[in-house]
Amino acid sequence: MANSLRLYLTCIRNTLEAAMCLQNFPCQEVERHNKPEVELKTSPELLLKPILICRNEAEKCLIETSINSLRISLKVKQADELENILTKKFLRFLSMRAEAFQVLRRKPVQGYDLSFLITNYHCEEMQKHKLIDFIVQFMEASFHPLHLVLWSVVNYFKYYAFLWTY
Amino acid sequence: MMVVTDDFVEADNAEAIISRIEHKSRKTESLLKQSKLVEALKTALEGWPPNTRDERCKSANWIVVHRAIMAMKDLDALFSSLDPEYYNILMKYLYRGLSTGDRPTCDQCLRIHERLTERAGLGCILRSLADTTNTV
Repeated sequence: MANSLRLYLTCIRNTLEAAMCLQNFPCQEVERHNKPEVELKTSPELLLKPILICRNEAEKCLIETSINSLRISLKVKQADELENILTKKFLRFLSMRAEAFQVLRRKPVQGYDLSFLITNYHCEEMQKHKLIDFIVQFMEASFHPLHLVLWSVVNYFKYYAFLWTY
Repeated sequence: MMVVTDDFVEADNAEAIISRIEHKSRKTESLLKQSKLVEALKTALEGWPPNTRDERCKSANWIVVHRAIMAMKDLDALFSSLDPEYYNILMKYLYRGLSTGDRPTCDQCLRIHERLTERAGLGCILRSLADTTNTV
């Protein structure tokens, strides 16, 4: 299982390294405007093919690139109702603080739990390989805390069930 | 700066392409039975681009390639004998496999993707992203 996670993250890292080739591109339709083309999707010649990388039926990552922006959407595995609630709360907590993250999108794309939007300005201010490291480490880290919280919840109930029965 | 996209020319009708794919499928199956896995994959990847936008032809082709990819066991032997001209088309089919969401397919595709990127580099990935006319 650890190996499949490693392969999944390696595939995403390689795809991001290839896809993160962004440059400044003023809007073609409206004068003096500069918009992330991946969000608008008005001109097909500015968009690359969207890539969907699935690890299994429940976990996937959608990478959409355009000439000046890149959008990464993640779906995290949720095995049962409790994990579903915990995931929603945790990711909503992060999304509300999206300005602090700069590259996080406030609302995830339909069908996914979390989305990042990286523009050419982010690539100019920050280093490309560091941005990719951040996203991959974020994905690695987000697999752990939910399971730790779940584990502590289960242990709590087991302990008190033991106390009540004896 | 507006880019004009070329109009797609239908080279053959869909039935002719599907009959060619069926012939290719039989050839691939016989090679797989003889445990010639690399030749089977080369046969499955040949005859591309198919010059068609018909989804049935693409699905039929994908089924043949999927069969050959799932049969691969020894990746070292694959990459030592596969010609570089097949790398781009193999990368496109790997991404198609990764988008299916089926666990064994995804596991196999992730394994091959890592090795193929080491071999072919990031340019191979970018060519598969950028080619929006010849899709699989």
